Amino acid sequence: MTSELTAVPRAIDRSRWRAPVTWRPARVPGGRRRWVLPLCVGVLVVLVLFAVVVPWVAGIDPRQTALADANQAPSWDHWFGTDQAGRDLVVRVAEGLRVSLLVAAVCAVVATVLGCVVGLTAAVVGGRTDRVLMRTVDGLNAVPHLLLGIVIAAMWKGAILAVIASIALTHWTQVARIVRAQALTVRTRDYVLATVSLGGSRRQVLVRHLLPAVAPQALLSVALLLPHAVWHESALSFLGVGLPPDRPSLGTLLEDARTRILVGQWWTLVFPSLALIATTAAVAGLSAAARDRLLPHRRTEVGVGGAA
Amino acid sequence: MTAAGAVPGAPPVLSIRGLSVQLGLLDGRWVHAVSDLDMDLPAGTVTLLAGESGCGKSVLASALIGLLPPTARVRGQVGLDGPDPLDLLAADDDVLATRVRGRRVGLVPQSAGTALTPTRTVGALLSEAVTTLGGAVPAADLLREVWLDPDGVADLYPHQLSGGMAHRVLLALALAGQPDVLLCDEPTAGLDPENAAHVAGLLAAQARTGRAVLLISHDIAACAPVADRVAVMVSSRVVEVGPATDVLDRPWHDYPQALWNSLPERGFRPVPGDPPPLTDLPDDCAWHRRAGGACSGVLTLEPVAPDHWVSCGRGPVGVGC
Amino acid sequence: MDAGVIRRGAAASSGLEPSATGRRGRWAAAARMALRRVLFVVPVTVLVSMAVFALAAASPYDPLAGYLGDRYLTVGADQAAVLREQLGLDRPWIVWWWDWVVAAVQGDLGTSHLYGQPVTAVIGQRLPWTLLLAGTALVLAVLVSLLVGVRSAARPGGLLDRTVVPLAYVLQGIPAFVLGLGAILLFALTWSVLPAAGATDPTAAVGVGQVAEHLVLPAGVLALSQLPWLLLHVRQSMLDALSADHVRTARARGLPDAVVIRRHALPGALLPFLSVIGVRLPELVVGATIVEVVFSWPGIAAATVSSARAMDFALLAALTTATTLLVLLGNLLADVAYTVADPRVSADDQ
Repeated sequence: MTSELTAVPRAIDRSRWRAPVTWRPARVPGGRRRWVLPLCVGVLVVLVLFAVVVPWVAGIDPRQTALADANQAPSWDHWFGTDQAGRDLVVRVAEGLRVSLLVAAVCAVVATVLGCVVGLTAAVVGGRTDRVLMRTVDGLNAVPHLLLGIVIAAMWKGAILAVIASIALTHWTQVARIVRAQALTVRTRDYVLATVSLGGSRRQVLVRHLLPAVAPQALLSVALLLPHAVWHESALSFLGVGLPPDRPSLGTLLEDARTRILVGQWWTLVFPSLALIATTAAVAGLSAAARDRLLPHRRTEVGVGGAA
Repeated sequence: MTAAGAVPGAPPVLSIRGLSVQLGLLDGRWVHAVSDLDMDLPAGTVTLLAGESGCGKSVLASALIGLLPPTARVRGQVGLDGPDPLDLLAADDDVLATRVRGRRVGLVPQSAGTALTPTRTVGALLSEAVTTLGGAVPAADLLREVWLDPDGVADLYPHQLSGGMAHRVLLALALAGQPDVLLCDEPTAGLDPENAAHVAGLLAAQARTGRAVLLISHDIAACAPVADRVAVMVSSRVVEVGPATDVLDRPWHDYPQALWNSLPERGFRPVPGDPPPLTDLPDDCAWHRRAGGACSGVLTLEPVAPDHWVSCGRGPVGVGC
Repeated sequence: MDAGVIRRGAAASSGLEPSATGRRGRWAAAARMALRRVLFVVPVTVLVSMAVFALAAASPYDPLAGYLGDRYLTVGADQAAVLREQLGLDRPWIVWWWDWVVAAVQGDLGTSHLYGQPVTAVIGQRLPWTLLLAGTALVLAVLVSLLVGVRSAARPGGLLDRTVVPLAYVLQGIPAFVLGLGAILLFALTWSVLPAAGATDPTAAVGVGQVAEHLVLPAGVLALSQLPWLLLHVRQSMLDALSADHVRTARARGLPDAVVIRRHALPGALLPFLSVIGVRLPELVVGATIVEVVFSWPGIAAATVSSARAMDFALLAALTTATTLLVLLGNLLADVAYTVADPRVSADDQ
């Protein structure tokens, strides 16, 4: 005997499924947008081609001036306009992008190598060395990175090596921490313990097991650090302590723009900015996609600008 | 004609008919958590839903109060009797939130350690529940009802409670809206035998006040003494449901028999075979595939006594298989 | 009504009074934590100041330039050598640093040749402006990120969520100096609605109206540059909180959505936010540095950049050390606030 439920239909539809009553609507399905990776790769390829090919084809010394053409708005002759010395901004932006990318790439590689060395040392040696190194990482993270960059770059004013050093020296901490964690998990795995118990030396463990284990992470770090480094270099140059003004990085171009926009030359701001934003966004998107591939269980939000 | 799983006599407060719940996975497969479940929860009785871990018991409780994850799908019907009868599966969330949850169907959740909001005191949680649900019983009396001293626990934060206290606080919270149905998901988990028996006794006391209590548990030792009816679930299906004495002592289906035999006090013989993953259950009887033995192939519950239902069309175990 | 009865009853009758002991325990835990952190703050600050001196010694920078300022270029080589001898500039950097520390403890940070006055005076004049700018921006960014982040997480995949999240990512990719220059181009030059530089008009007296008008763009840009990360963080921790066990249980209890979000999900999600703000302070300083330069704001961050460009060593060393100290102390404050606010911490620490 069932109860007499007037509000309930008697016949039970056993064939049709329906969504349950839920509080929150379903999340946007899919999450993984397939067009992101090709788009980022495409943008990056275009930007790199632009940075390499344009100055080469133009064949003009970007420092050479043509005062007759000074301060022109974008036109068919000068797509991005010209600066106060009559230099074509297409060429200037391409040059700037090339310098910025080069500097950033060197910084990213140096910072990653440094981070790997420190992280592996901490993990392999352990004990007091580990504690001291990790405290150093904590301390360095608590200091505004741009501040240290400014101090270093100011003392060796105009030296490109100082700019690279100031960025690399402040960006290795994250890599060190991740590499150390990775190495620690690998170190306690069975096959490594087996090597040790069979009399394998520390060096053998390091070369055979730890290095291969942290290699993908290191590769990813280079990609992740690249937009940071681009941002950092342009910030230093913008603040006037980075690359010398005669070397057109995106930052120095934007420092120029700071005064040029006051007299209405908007193009000096817009085009270098677009190149900078497109580069950081494309690299960030690319490394986010790469992270999804390499570490699919850790799909987190990736930061670009500002994060020093 | 009585429906499968029905109980003659007392009208059920909650009658579940043909309930199936599946949870979607990211790769497109479905976890078969509950399949074609028929069961009645009569007023004033404790129904024990037993079964090994991971057979879909807990999903049932979520489905009944509309707290399934958004990736789930359901079918069937869950009738809630009373002055305002309604189908819990068809009602929209607003109706469930404002008229059913806490007020007509209460839930004592699993994992007491994480189920209480860590930043609020017991007193604050209870009085909030009583006020918002318009409960007639004051918070202090609710605590006394679950044998807790209001002066001693009201100002405690959840992390300061012992496991047994947390379970009892959760019971008091579920009682704040004076629901007709009480769903208890593993209410004795993590408790020592003495405390477990204590909590089970509290739930039996709730049934005696006229509530329908569903006790979802694999802690059979603690829960069997207070159960009036027992349902046994394996691989997402209820295979036997009937009066506690019959199902516990003379089960017809061989899974309950195997399950009872696996208890420490009943011989400690492990249940044969491994449970198949819920993502690919066979269309026929998963239990008999796993354990061997003949199966009639009839998966719906059939009556063997007026209030005793068994699937797979078998005789009493040990009489004729 | 019942809650009142319970609470009053407990407070009056039981000798236990757990909430009182809990609160006292929390303050004690916070004090212990603060002490531990001070043991971290002091060495880091000392090391940073040492690093500045060590770098200066290693770099081609001539400390005599810092002493003479513009006159450095007109001084002859032999005269310079004499001066160097007199001033003791040939001593190792660590001695030089120690003298600086001893003087600093006595309140003398040297003289800034860039501004032609004592470094302490420069900091005293400029620090309030930086605090005003950074404080306004931080409050603004925190409020907006809380408001929008919580709403966005309450309906994941909803209209607000689908608008806000991509926007935050885009904003995150735009450097603060581009944001600032863009704001100047639009609001100050194209539409001429807001002033582009300084804290007041050049001739105007310092007044609330003047400052407020000049604060809009820099504070807005600084807030905007800090917003995306904070917003995405709030949204994520709120999403996590909403799927927590106790939130589900609160819903199962029949509490309305508003109560569930406000009283059960939000506190757990926001308590860690206090210390997260502390962790973000270095970012705020970086943003403030750029924004102060872009908008010629008379704060210490802009002075740091100016001192670096002009190699005003006394000012640069003092500002670097002071900024580091401020960030570390802010960090400490945020963690203390978190420890005091979270009822669970006392138990973990007792």
